[in-house]
Amino acid sequence: MKIKTEQFTEVARREMADMNSRAFLQLLPPVIAAMRKAAMATFPDPDEANEYSRAIRAEVVARLPELLEEFEKNAIAGGARVVWARDAKEANDFILDLARKREISYVTKGKSMVSEELGTNDFLIRNGIKAFETDLGEFIAQQLHRPPFHIVGPAVNVSVQEVCDLFMEKAGMEAPTTDPIELGYAARLYLRDKFHHLEMGITGVNMAVAETGSIINVENEGNIRLTKSSPMVQVSVMSIEKVVPTMHDAMHMLRLLCRNCTGQSISSYVSIDTGPKKDDEIDGPEELYIVIVDNGRSDLYDDVKAREALRCIRCGACLNHCPVYGTIGGYPYGWAYSGPMGQVLNPLLLGLERTQDLYRACTLCGACKEVCPAGVDHPSMFLYYRSKDVQGDDGLKGKKRDWKEDSFFRIFSLATTFPWLWNKAVRLLRPLYNRNAKDDVVTNISGPFEGWFRQRNLPAMPSETFHDRWKKMKANRLS
Amino acid sequence: MKKVSMFIPCTVDIMLPAIGEQTFSLLERLGVLPIYHEKQTCCGQPALNAGYVDEAKKSAKHFIEVFGDDEVIVSPSGSCLHTVKYRYPELLSDEPVWLRRAEELSSRLFELSQYIVDVLGIEDVGASFEGTVTYHESCHILRGLGVSEQPKKLIAAVDGAEFVPLNNADKCCGFGGEFAKDYPDISEEMVKDKVQNYIASGADLLVLCEPGCLLNINGYLSRNHPEKKALHIATLLAGTAGQVRP
Repeated sequence: MKIKTEQFTEVARREMADMNSRAFLQLLPPVIAAMRKAAMATFPDPDEANEYSRAIRAEVVARLPELLEEFEKNAIAGGARVVWARDAKEANDFILDLARKREISYVTKGKSMVSEELGTNDFLIRNGIKAFETDLGEFIAQQLHRPPFHIVGPAVNVSVQEVCDLFMEKAGMEAPTTDPIELGYAARLYLRDKFHHLEMGITGVNMAVAETGSIINVENEGNIRLTKSSPMVQVSVMSIEKVVPTMHDAMHMLRLLCRNCTGQSISSYVSIDTGPKKDDEIDGPEELYIVIVDNGRSDLYDDVKAREALRCIRCGACLNHCPVYGTIGGYPYGWAYSGPMGQVLNPLLLGLERTQDLYRACTLCGACKEVCPAGVDHPSMFLYYRSKDVQGDDGLKGKKRDWKEDSFFRIFSLATTFPWLWNKAVRLLRPLYNRNAKDDVVTNISGPFEGWFRQRNLPAMPSETFHDRWKKMKANRLS
Repeated sequence: MKKVSMFIPCTVDIMLPAIGEQTFSLLERLGVLPIYHEKQTCCGQPALNAGYVDEAKKSAKHFIEVFGDDEVIVSPSGSCLHTVKYRYPELLSDEPVWLRRAEELSSRLFELSQYIVDVLGIEDVGASFEGTVTYHESCHILRGLGVSEQPKKLIAAVDGAEFVPLNNADKCCGFGGEFAKDYPDISEEMVKDKVQNYIASGADLLVLCEPGCLLNINGYLSRNHPEKKALHIATLLAGTAGQVRP
């Protein structure tokens, strides 16, 4: 997937003008948010349920190295093969090499965000291995060459007419229809054929249980189960933070994941695999490979603040509650992860320099933090990224700001520590600012604040500050 | 008489001084003695939010020096209060002496409506307003400080005022300080949405507790719907809603 995080503002502007995206954004996120709320209310104590899952994620981050080793040991004991990939190249090379060794011409894919991060599809296709997304939304997004609009519904903004045209052209649909059931059936026919002859399937992992070496997948369409159970070779790709300590923890996280993701108590399909097919079993792959991807995460592990990002379980609740995402949709974030989740993850994985807008285009309203079942404090992460960018931090690839902003804040903070200077500065600025006022209203000031004034006014600065008025008031009372 | 120290944020001091006066007169009317430290400036939130941590530390230390000994500090802004209460301890975490002072300070800070309802135990402050009133839940007041019922109780007790609900009352108005300047396209859409909900509520007045949101929402109203306005809760409660220009 091409990384377009630097085009945030431009794409945001385009999306805000797109009626289709706007209509969807006004409709779906509030509906999913309401469903989430109702589903959370089925817990005897929803707040405690959240506290518990947040504690599990905190433990995962704190014990990550040992949990991964424990998972590896138990996964191998169950018959799986564990492959460690330092970066996207190592992961993709391994998958390609395996496919070539097994003389495989195509693979099916279960929806997997980490494979979006790695660009696995493009890589395989470039190297002559066809890769078919099998999640309906991902399938549509892939055929349209678009990034996911929403982590849960990657193509949820695409109109039925567009889907119809696409299926006529690329999925062998015979007669045009805009009936969603017919369209679903067409995709099913097309993909069932792929599953039928499948030799290698690639999926993501929702949770990897250290205690048992099992991998867990959560889905609603059944395509992941087919991708895992039909072929001889199964490859499950996970980023390092997907591990959880125990099966008990995994079951609690499952409750939170489904409720936060789609407002369900549990998804239609949950598959738990421990190793490949055993001798006495009739289903399952002969070979199971678990690819554990680092891709820059462990380099930042010593940074105890930055690594908090690894709490994220990709449920997408933050997207549905974010007022900025709700205005611009998923495309502006420019990579695998969108919304507040992407604003936390993308800067960490891509560096602060090329993700400037992601951690700045936020009002710090805290709606994401409030709902996050993993305990990510998004606003605090953004403040941290901003500070590291200002400092030009090496580890996080900060850029530093321009000298004008630097000097502004240096003078500003100095003025806050000298009240006489502060009040003097206010007195000096007032006439400059009020020069733009007419009838005590400022309707435009050219320069960095222009944007504000396109649709908004500001009052003129009153001739006396509260400070001035207080002094007068005090004098009057004394006299 | 109980002394209360007023933390008047710079936005109020410079742009909306009437809110400072209303805070003062309201508190005085409720039987406490409001005091004001003339050495107060800005809490440093703009620098902190822009990532200028070292600069923000200077402002934070100045604030702590100025307010450090006060038993009760009350402010007509939740955002600035949130900065002092929750961001200062993070900011000063590597300076133990300052950290302790910041933490001690944090328990003595109250947002205006929170102070009146929770500490003074008053809901009816003796204000009057004829008409329907709705309330915008500013982010740092609602999610930052957990204050939501207090202002609504105060509004409901205003003589002649009828409280009406606001759709998406807890959704951000799109201000966000630097955000409104750096991302005007997105910010505009958000404030427009807030204003549309206000108009759809049918309320005569939108009340809120946050000067930043007030500048944003009134800025948009003044340009696009000059017949409507938003008011700070201090203005409503001081009983000057009819006379003071918002």
